[in-house]
Amino acid sequence: MIRADELDNTFVQEIMNEPGGEDILTCWSCGTCAATCLVRRYDPSFNPRLILYKAGLGLRDEVLSSAEIWQCSACDACYSRCPKDIHISDVMKAIRNIAIREGYEPPGPFAEVDEEVCSGCAVCTRACPYEAIDRITKNVNGTERAVAQVDKNLCLHCGVCVAACPSGAMSLETVNDKEIVSRVGAGGWLDKGSYLAGEAKEPHLLVFVCQWSIHSDTEWNRMDALQSDNVRIVNLPCSGRVDPQIILMALTEGADGVLVVGCKEGECHYTRGTYLGRSKVALLRTILDQMGMPQERVRFVELGSLDRYVLPRLIDSMSQDIKQLVAAPVQVCG
Amino acid sequence: MKKLNLAVYWAAACGGCDIAIVELGEHLLELAEVADIVFWPCAMDFKYKDVEEMADGHIDVTLFNGAIRTNEDAHIAHLLRKKSKVLVALGSCAMEGCIPSLGNIKGPDHALNRAMKEAPGTHNPQGVVPQAAYEMPEGTLTLPTLCNQVRTLEQVVPVDYKIPGCPPNHEQIWKAMTQIIENKLPPAGSLLGVDERTVCDQCPREREGKIRVERFYRPHEIIPDPERCLLEQGIICAGPATHAGCGALCIEANMPCRGCYGPPDGVVDQGAALLDAIVAGFEGESDAQIRKVLDTIVDPVGTFYRFSLADSFLHRAKMSEELSGRPCASQADGDGRQEMTT
Repeated sequence: MIRADELDNTFVQEIMNEPGGEDILTCWSCGTCAATCLVRRYDPSFNPRLILYKAGLGLRDEVLSSAEIWQCSACDACYSRCPKDIHISDVMKAIRNIAIREGYEPPGPFAEVDEEVCSGCAVCTRACPYEAIDRITKNVNGTERAVAQVDKNLCLHCGVCVAACPSGAMSLETVNDKEIVSRVGAGGWLDKGSYLAGEAKEPHLLVFVCQWSIHSDTEWNRMDALQSDNVRIVNLPCSGRVDPQIILMALTEGADGVLVVGCKEGECHYTRGTYLGRSKVALLRTILDQMGMPQERVRFVELGSLDRYVLPRLIDSMSQDIKQLVAAPVQVCG
Repeated sequence: MKKLNLAVYWAAACGGCDIAIVELGEHLLELAEVADIVFWPCAMDFKYKDVEEMADGHIDVTLFNGAIRTNEDAHIAHLLRKKSKVLVALGSCAMEGCIPSLGNIKGPDHALNRAMKEAPGTHNPQGVVPQAAYEMPEGTLTLPTLCNQVRTLEQVVPVDYKIPGCPPNHEQIWKAMTQIIENKLPPAGSLLGVDERTVCDQCPREREGKIRVERFYRPHEIIPDPERCLLEQGIICAGPATHAGCGALCIEANMPCRGCYGPPDGVVDQGAALLDAIVAGFEGESDAQIRKVLDTIVDPVGTFYRFSLADSFLHRAKMSEELSGRPCASQADGDGRQEMTT
């Protein structure tokens, strides 16, 4: 129940005064944004329309204290569909800025720095698509030295920094290396023998899928059906989170190929994550080629926001290509 | 106190690790007070049979430098393992393959062919390749043969400790020696002679932190600003993915870290970790721009895996068969054909 005396009529004006919040009053509450929103797949309670509506009503405390205002990851999938051209992620940012000033904290998870391990190399600060990481000098256990520091208000938990950190100092709950490795190998998947080594009848493919690259909810919900003894699907928050060390480990331990599925150019949920993902795969392919190994064992493919049910075909085609490799076997030196 | 028996050996190595031991300087006198050197082919006159005649476990500590490239290297590795209580892989070659293991990219047949037939300055019209055994009127001459891969010491025999570096910093060697002499060694399997974290922790250069680069330069293509982070100037520096211990020596000389101290704790594949760190600093908001940056990286395997190839996932992924000590195909059959074990 909403009580009239709880409404704060100045809240809308406060948001409109905040950079990015100017257009809030033009919202019709049509709900197109909520229908488009990819975050809702993970948290159905997240509803951008409702947040804008409540803010418009003046439910200041309720909006500022809600966990939901922090969940928008600014992919702007809704922006292109909003009939009123409202840049909803900017409005969210404006509301968050007010919340930060009022002392509210985002609920997380955030990238976290193990300061004992961090060398202050600044790799993560360059990697972060949101400039959420700074390199600061502080006293760590009695020594004055440089370490990375994550701004919780800016971190959108894409995991790009966790992949980039070369010393394992950066971590993010649920997408740590250990977690990913255990998902790759769960149920002894890596021990089933590889096709290229002549131990299996079908190629074993490891597929890393960016969680935002599959745009249809129905398709997303049916992803499990693609899993089999031959295909292992591991979701990542972003293709930029893919870790070449884990790819090479998988190739060493029994995977015949690794497919990385990310967003199309210009459609990345985390602005530049897909470029990092595809760069890593491209560089890895050059390395495999230089080593005399078939490049086809590692592949990056992009899915556009209009692509539907393409993944099964992509998996199948990579599998077929790996079968061709038998004619030209892995060159072993000597 | 009974003096320690100390041995030093070099397998496929350049001699830099032995020089690093010589560089101990006055510490060598302290060392001589507490230890007898029972085997050190690079510096003193010993024969293999001297070692063969020792009782098993006679040597307290062996510092083994060099990778395992020939059947002779493998033979001595097995021999010294048997005769030593503690076996230390000294330097990058013994620990992770180092420069010799870059030979694994194309294999030993390619290397032999290149060295014996193709290299400029080589005059070898008959195409003679060194053979394992050659019959002469006076008897059979033998030579060690190349194994089909360059391996780390640990890929051949169990190793107790590793001291990274190409070569290891002599102060770090002395630090490790002190631990050995005072019997204050950490649990077996540890690295000796290293500092915490990575080279960046010891690098005094200014890091702005947000600078991404549009192209990479090789060291000879640019004179870098000595005050600023080399990565931010577009020079591939392995510092972020390299264990600390050297004191950032190359960086002081305005050269990028090349990664000789091996991967940081908890990282297996140094090249992959470095690749990730380098890609993170790419400038570009489109595929085309990113490709342009990528194209400026010359010789990625040699750059990212310069020291750690033999011990990397990449190498293991290539070797679908078990890491083997089989000889390369170019060299003929002979007594030296099989890997000798004692």
